Amino acid sequence: MAETSSFDLLPDEQRLARFMERIETGEKIEADDWMPEDYRMTLIKLISMHGISEIMGALPEKEWVPKAPSLKRKLAIMAKVQDEMGHGQLLLRVAEDLMEPLLKSREHIIQDLLSGKLKFHNVFHMEAKTWGDAGLIGWLVDGAAIITQTNMLNASYGPYARALKRICAEEVFHAQHGEAIIMALAEGTGKQKAMIQDSIDRWWDALLMFFGPGDASTTGTSKQDITMKYKIRTKTNEELRQDFFSKYIPRVLSLGLKLPDETMHFDKTEGLWKYRQPDWSQFKQIIKNNGPKSRERLRLREISYTSNKWVLEALSVRV
Amino acid sequence: MPDKGFYQEFEVFSKRSDASPLQHQFSLLAPNHELALVMAQENFMRREPVSDIWVVKREDIRKMDLEEKQSLKRLDNKDYRNTKGYGYLKKKWRVYEQEILDEREILSWGGEPEK
Amino acid sequence: MKYTKEEALIHKEYHSALCELLFQLADDDFILAYRGSEWLGLAPHIEEDVAFSSISQDMMGHAVIFYGMLEDLGIGKANDLAHDRPAEERKNAILLERVNGPGTYLHEPHYDWAFAVVRSYFYTGIKKIKIASLKNSSYIPLSQAAVKIEMELYYHLLHWKTWFTQLLGAGGEAKKRIEDAMAAVFPDLDGVFSFGAARTMFIRLALITSEEEIRQEWIQMMRPIFESLGINMPNSFGLESGNGRDGVHTEDLEAALKTLTEVYRIDQTASW
Repeated sequence: MAETSSFDLLPDEQRLARFMERIETGEKIEADDWMPEDYRMTLIKLISMHGISEIMGALPEKEWVPKAPSLKRKLAIMAKVQDEMGHGQLLLRVAEDLMEPLLKSREHIIQDLLSGKLKFHNVFHMEAKTWGDAGLIGWLVDGAAIITQTNMLNASYGPYARALKRICAEEVFHAQHGEAIIMALAEGTGKQKAMIQDSIDRWWDALLMFFGPGDASTTGTSKQDITMKYKIRTKTNEELRQDFFSKYIPRVLSLGLKLPDETMHFDKTEGLWKYRQPDWSQFKQIIKNNGPKSRERLRLREISYTSNKWVLEALSVRV
Repeated sequence: MPDKGFYQEFEVFSKRSDASPLQHQFSLLAPNHELALVMAQENFMRREPVSDIWVVKREDIRKMDLEEKQSLKRLDNKDYRNTKGYGYLKKKWRVYEQEILDEREILSWGGEPEK
Repeated sequence: MKYTKEEALIHKEYHSALCELLFQLADDDFILAYRGSEWLGLAPHIEEDVAFSSISQDMMGHAVIFYGMLEDLGIGKANDLAHDRPAEERKNAILLERVNGPGTYLHEPHYDWAFAVVRSYFYTGIKKIKIASLKNSSYIPLSQAAVKIEMELYYHLLHWKTWFTQLLGAGGEAKKRIEDAMAAVFPDLDGVFSFGAARTMFIRLALITSEEEIRQEWIQMMRPIFESLGINMPNSFGLESGNGRDGVHTEDLEAALKTLTEVYRIDQTASW
C-alpha cells in the first residue's frame, strides 16, 4: 500500500484547488487519486446508472434475438446485445472502482437496481413490441446514445473516458446494424413499412426524453450543471437533443418516414429545432420504475440474480 | 473488506501478435485466475487478433499515487542522451565525404522492420 | 475416394448420405446456439454473459457453414433450411433442443446454469471429436470446413471445462447441482453420438468415423477428468427421449421453432 503522502495532509481547499487545476489543464483523474466528494458521488451516480442501463437495455432487444428473421440477423443482433452487456461490464467496473472506498461492490449495484434505488434509462422501460422496434433501438436509441457518449469522450475522469472510447468504437457497428434493419423494412413491403412507421410513432416521446429535461425546472432534478463544472461533459441536455435532431431527422425523412409531431421544424433564425415537448410527468413516472415494462424487466434481472446465486456462492473466495 | 466473495478484480493484458508488446486492456471481475482467463478475450478483444493474454490480480499490482507520480517528471536538458545532441556530426562527416550513421540507417541493417 | 461438390451432385447415394450428415451437424449447432441466445442477459455473471454469447455466436456460425454447404448441394437456401423445416424434418439430437429450465426467456426464466454447463461441455467435447474426424472426410468442402471450425472449439472446450471442473470442485450445492444435471444429460447423450439410420452409409462412404469410435474417444477424454473430480462415468448412456436423427422430437423443439420463425413467417418472400 502507498504511504500517506504530503498531498493527503493538505487542507481540503488546497486539495480542491489543485484538483480543479488538474481538470482545467486537461489532466485525467484516476481511480486512486484524491477527488472531492461531490465529484465522486456524481460520477458514481452517472456511471452506475449508465452501466446498469446498458444491462437493462440489453433486455428489450434481447426479446428479438431468438426471433430475428434470418441467420445473418440472428447473429448480428446476438453480437449487438452481447456488446450491450459488454458495455455494462466496462461501465460497472468503472463505477465499482469509484465505490470501493465506500465499501460497495457489484453486489450493491444489483441490490440497488432491484430495490429501485438505482434508476435505469427511460427508454429501456418501454415495450419492444415488434421487429421494427429492434431496428429502431439499434438505429435511433443507439444514435441518441452515441450523441451523449461522444460528448463525454474527453471526460475528466480517465477510466470513464477510456471505457467510453471502447464503447463508442462499437456503437458504430450498432448504428449500422440498426440502419440495416430499418432500411430493409423501409424498402420492403407495405406491411414492413408500416411496421417501422409504427415503431417511430410509439418511440418518439421516449427518444425526446432520452436526453433528459432541458433544465431542472421541468422535472426538479438535473445533474447537468455539476457534470459540466467538472468537465465530465461539455454540452447541455438540450444541445444534445438538438444535435440528435440535426443528425437523424433528415435521415428519418429521407426514408419516407413521418415524424409523429406535425409542429416539428427547423427555425433558421434561431438555428434550433422546434418540437412539441413530451409529457415530462410521464418521464418522472417511467424512471421511478412505473413505465410500461419496468417491473417485468426488473423481474428478469431478479430471477437471473436469485436463480444463479448458488454459482457465485460456490466459487466465492473465503477469507 | 471482510469477504471478497466472487468478485475479485483482475487486470487484463494482451498481445495483438507474437511480435507486439503486452498492452493493458481493462479490468474484470472473476472468482479466480482460471475463470478470469476464459472470460478475458471475449470481454475485451472480440474484434481484434490476440496472441497472448495475461490476467493479474489487481491486489498484486503496486501503483503510484499522485505524489509519487511527481517523481516521473524531469528537465528537458538531456540532449546528450539522444542523437539530437550530435546533429553537428552530419556536417562534419560531409567534410570526409561520408554519411552519418543515423537512426534510420542503423535500424535498416536488421532488414525490413516488422509491421 | 474424395468428392468435390460437383462429384457429390452427380452421385445420388453419396449426395443423399452427405446431406443427411450435414443436416445433423447444422441442426445440432443451430438449436444449441438458439438455446444459448435465450440465455443472453441472464447468465450468472456479466463477464460470463459476454463470453457465453461469443460461443453461441460461433456455434450459429458453424451452423451457417453447414447450411451453406447444403445450399451448395441444391437442397435450398441456407436461411430457409434453418427456418422453414418442421420439427419432424429436423435432425438435431433431442438433448440439444431441451429447454434451459422452467419458464421461457421472456417470462420467468428460471434457467439452470448447471444444465447449461454440463450439456455444453459434453456436446462440445463430442463435437470436437466429430470435427477432428471430419478433417479426413471424403467430402472435400467438409474436410476443409472442419479445419476451420476446429480452431474455435479449443476455446469452447476450455471455457466449459473450466466451469465444469470448478463447480464440481466447489463441492456442496454446486456439486449436487452438476450431478443432477449430469443425471439429466446422460440418459439422452447417445442421441448426440448417434448418426441415426444412415450410420452404415456414413462409414461406407468415408464421410465420418463410427459412432462407437467417437463414443470411446470421448470416454477416454473425459475419464481422467471424472476421476480427478471423484465422480463416476456411467457404464452406458441412453436414448430415452428418442432419436432426433430419425426426426423424433419433443414439445420443446416445437415451441422453439415457433419462436425462432416468428418474424420470418410474417412474410417469407420479404427481405428482412
